[in-house]
Amino acid sequence: MQHAITHGPSFALLRVDLLPGESVVGEAGSMVARHDELAMQVRLNAGESQSSWARVKALIVALVRRFIGGETLFVNHFSTARGGSVWLAPPLAGQIVHRRLNGELLLLSRGAYLAHTGAVTLNLKFGGLRGLLAKQGAFFLAVSGHGDLWFSSYGGVEPIDVTGSYVIDNGHLVGYEGDLSFSIRSAGGGLLGLVASGEGLVCEFHGHGRLWIQTRNLQSLVGWLGPLLPR
Amino acid sequence: MHVEILYRPAHALARVVLAPYESVTAESGALVGMSPNLKLETQSGGLLSGVKRFFGGESFFRNTFTAPAERGEVLLAHALCGDLRVLDLTQAGFFLQSSAFVAATPNVQVETALGGLRNFFSGAGLFVLRVTAASPGLLVFGAFGGIEELVCDGNLVIDTGHLVAWDATLDYTIGKSASGWLMSFLSGEGLVCRFRGQGRIWIQSRSPSAYGRKVGSLLPPRKG
Repeated sequence: MQHAITHGPSFALLRVDLLPGESVVGEAGSMVARHDELAMQVRLNAGESQSSWARVKALIVALVRRFIGGETLFVNHFSTARGGSVWLAPPLAGQIVHRRLNGELLLLSRGAYLAHTGAVTLNLKFGGLRGLLAKQGAFFLAVSGHGDLWFSSYGGVEPIDVTGSYVIDNGHLVGYEGDLSFSIRSAGGGLLGLVASGEGLVCEFHGHGRLWIQTRNLQSLVGWLGPLLPR
Repeated sequence: MHVEILYRPAHALARVVLAPYESVTAESGALVGMSPNLKLETQSGGLLSGVKRFFGGESFFRNTFTAPAERGEVLLAHALCGDLRVLDLTQAGFFLQSSAFVAATPNVQVETALGGLRNFFSGAGLFVLRVTAASPGLLVFGAFGGIEELVCDGNLVIDTGHLVAWDATLDYTIGKSASGWLMSFLSGEGLVCRFRGQGRIWIQSRSPSAYGRKVGSLLPPRKG
């Protein structure tokens, strides 16, 4: 399997070339184009399941993901016996990042997941009150296993290697490595700093590992656009 | 006529340089700037073709810029953030999503083709444009996001929201993306175009309707 990311950072497009027998899983609605030799199967976004009870359980998990995690209920499996390519893209203007997973854990903000291959599992992780305050929803998508992962950002994406601690605006968080942890605090310190700085709450990350920020913030776009629309 | 595309790919601008007495025809509203010596003529090409264009998702009017005895230039852009592409016109011509047309040499015939129900379902409106020319010429079209040229060897499936243009040598059918209607709906892909034959297809790396749905769902509801 080979892949290419083009048209970044504003309008990144992912092409995955599959050899006979290979497959790739993509977020529902992310397909731009594919060779006809690739079969597309719709599956519940809840992992592999065999028995009928497991399928019911998968549906419940997928529903929880849809309504709480902000992810789509379904993913598309592209597989091929003859080989071919599939092109995938996220809905918003932004970049696509590739990450090879070798057993480590990665946590993605809602909506950041685009595609994966191999033995990669996707699970919802409850972020507790911190996650709720971080505007990213109470849930993160925990991605682990062995395989390729692609995630997307709104705007450009910047990796930051944290050694010790680092503070980021929570609306700009794309994802972080599982060795990191974060706490929520006021950007300016105290109540005045919270209200007057215009920055609201920030995430302070601790530990050693990499995190990814996006150079634009969807909430800010919506906050700007909303009042401009005709009522 | 010489066309240079600047500010690619996010905010592309077409700089069209006209030799003496040359003309370029552009979509109404595409003008960004022009040298003061150019003559601007607006034509609707008759009421019927103007109305047809209007319903095809284009503007009612189209402008022709003509250089006098000296050279001139005109700057043109597309409405959306994204790339522009210049194509040499071919014998067979192209099909174009109706909103993608930006400009062309004046020898180009742009017909609004009423594609019938199949185009209605493509999410691009009832119409596509058929662009042909009897002599060599240029076409400039725009897209939302980057433009990628794919070579079809009888076997490409394209999401209708990402389709911009294709060689008229290709045959296509609009259909469901997965095996059944329910699965197509669940897959989130909606409808796709299945292309047959040999030719080139130009896709845009973002879908305007998917972008609109994503941002629109977060906006406050409209009153009334």
